[in-house]
Amino acid sequence: MTLSNVFQLLMSGIAVGAIYTLTAKGLFIAHLATHRLNFGQGDFLMVGAYVTIGLMLLGVPAPLVLVGVLIVLGLLGWGLERFAIRPLDRAGDQTGGYAWVLTTAGAALILQNVVELIWGKAAQYAPPIFSATRNNVVHIGGVGIFVEELAIIAVAFVVVTAFYLFLFRTRWGKAIYAVAFNPEAAALLGVNVRGTVVLVFVLASLLAGISGFLVGPLVSVNPHMGLVFTIKAFAVASIGGFSNPVGLLAGGLLFGIVEAFSNYFDSSFGDLYPLIAVLILLAFRPTGLFSTRAADVR
Amino acid sequence: MRKIWAAAAIAGVLGTVGPVYAQETVKVGVVLGLSGPPAIVDFGESYLQGLKLALKDHEAKNPKTKIDLVVYDDEANPQRAVSVVQRLIQNDRAPIVIGTVSSGNVLAFAPILQRASIPLVAGPAIATPITTQFIDQKPSFIFRCSMVEKFQIEAILDWGVKTFKKIGLVHSTTGYGSVSAKEIEAGLKARGQELVAIEAAAPGVNDLTPQMIKMRDAGAELVLNFHESFELIYRPMARLNYRPVIAGNWGLSSLKVEQIVGKEAIEGTVMGQALDLADPKAKAFDERMRKEYGKDYRWPVLASLGYDAGQIVFKTVEKVGKSDPKALRDALEAIDGVDAVSETPAKPFSPTDHECLDKEHVFLGVWKDGQVVRLKY
Repeated sequence: MTLSNVFQLLMSGIAVGAIYTLTAKGLFIAHLATHRLNFGQGDFLMVGAYVTIGLMLLGVPAPLVLVGVLIVLGLLGWGLERFAIRPLDRAGDQTGGYAWVLTTAGAALILQNVVELIWGKAAQYAPPIFSATRNNVVHIGGVGIFVEELAIIAVAFVVVTAFYLFLFRTRWGKAIYAVAFNPEAAALLGVNVRGTVVLVFVLASLLAGISGFLVGPLVSVNPHMGLVFTIKAFAVASIGGFSNPVGLLAGGLLFGIVEAFSNYFDSSFGDLYPLIAVLILLAFRPTGLFSTRAADVR
Repeated sequence: MRKIWAAAAIAGVLGTVGPVYAQETVKVGVVLGLSGPPAIVDFGESYLQGLKLALKDHEAKNPKTKIDLVVYDDEANPQRAVSVVQRLIQNDRAPIVIGTVSSGNVLAFAPILQRASIPLVAGPAIATPITTQFIDQKPSFIFRCSMVEKFQIEAILDWGVKTFKKIGLVHSTTGYGSVSAKEIEAGLKARGQELVAIEAAAPGVNDLTPQMIKMRDAGAELVLNFHESFELIYRPMARLNYRPVIAGNWGLSSLKVEQIVGKEAIEGTVMGQALDLADPKAKAFDERMRKEYGKDYRWPVLASLGYDAGQIVFKTVEKVGKSDPKALRDALEAIDGVDAVSETPAKPFSPTDHECLDKEHVFLGVWKDGQVVRLKY
């Protein structure tokens, strides 16, 4: 195996890992504040990819497309909280503790069907975002990288940094932690609990929107593409630990890189090895690589 | 006067209930993958488009037997495929069945139809044993109007070994991909060559860079693509500065694949074919389909085989004129004078041959200037 192959695999692993990181980040933030996960996080990414395709093919300039995608996904995030999460909170224990699994997965199925109705069931052509053709490759030291890949890697790092600052340095970030710690106490201290919960679902949805905007030209866009991203984002969140934003980045990149190399060494089971590695890791470190073992006081 | 009125009334009543000959209706069961993985849906919808156009043309001839097409979606799921076939037999009482996309699904329900003595025209599934495993049963109720994997692979390998020294293979880890890989390996061995690299990929993968690095490093000049996501193999080529010739499954002739991959990248790609668009009849069919279905029409060869399967079945039903499965089977085997759009011959079947396409009808197509034309070599 040549050195340039090692770097090539590293780069494509990091690029795929960055997509997983952004998806996992969406799971993480919603889980942090509400202890709920959006089982349709990957499908939100899929909607982002389709809205991007639709607007790009209409000739809308890329920056405006991004704005459009963020508006649509922001509304979707709000809608998810309003119609799939909040009514369950109101019903309290009557719905059982995990009814949100059904409602979020149900919302994902609805999204898949709506997309099928509008765009059809076939895979779609995704126009390039930064160039006229899809072969916009930058060669660095014999390693070829698509511009979209560079963008998604950069976005993953920026988002991780921004989230870190947001969570630990801003009033809203502190509000999220306060709500996570004890919603009643947070409310008594003047934190807008409902507003915070809506905010985290909108943020999670916006992350899916950004990923969806960038991944179109890199992957096969079809109405059922979301599930694979959701499953892998769960694995990544488990590696990183559900409460550590930097851990998610490390977990995502690690997962992407292991996947690229395992596909190189044994392509028949290439997708299996990273998932087995996660299972083994969790057997020894159930809280993930970067999370501390502490009693959950929430 | 009263008698005249009474006579007139009786005559009127008799007139209205006089001899009315009800048109016989025969249900034709159709099972296709119309939801699930996009590649399966492309196959299923394209075949169904052809079938529906064939029915439209058949009805335009004012047939004496009415055909009721009962269509079920098997969702590319073998259990569901078996369940809808049982529904077709028991509830709908369909005396003849057409379908489906996944070879595994056909192999799951074909024995049921054989036991129930109900003829099946399989398609667009392509696995080699679909008809061969029943042909020795006298009589076999299993027919097919589709590409046959064996013929397609043989045509590709005959050309491949003649033209290239180093051949590689990327296949999917599904049943279809694995069986194709075995057929390819055995076929190459019989021709005195071996694959320089063989790589697999799961059906849901998004990136084939690792697999294509292996192909490039092995020096493969021809890469055989037997993965259901036909477009994936082209993506890493630009980044790897590697441009082998791609050949494979007839799926590579889909207009949707061309649209996703791009006209330049797909140029020179070779695949099994059974529709020659240089033929005026095929060309006219292609234009009609474009008019009929617009942008939803995406796969000329699939639609043409769906059309021909429909033509054959509807002609058989018209000949028999009733819901009699055994009579339909016999008539199907004996059908003659089919004016097929694809390479299907006028008399497709015989007691020893239940395939619309035989080895001599399968040829190689190549993408050239945005169209699939016959490959000359």
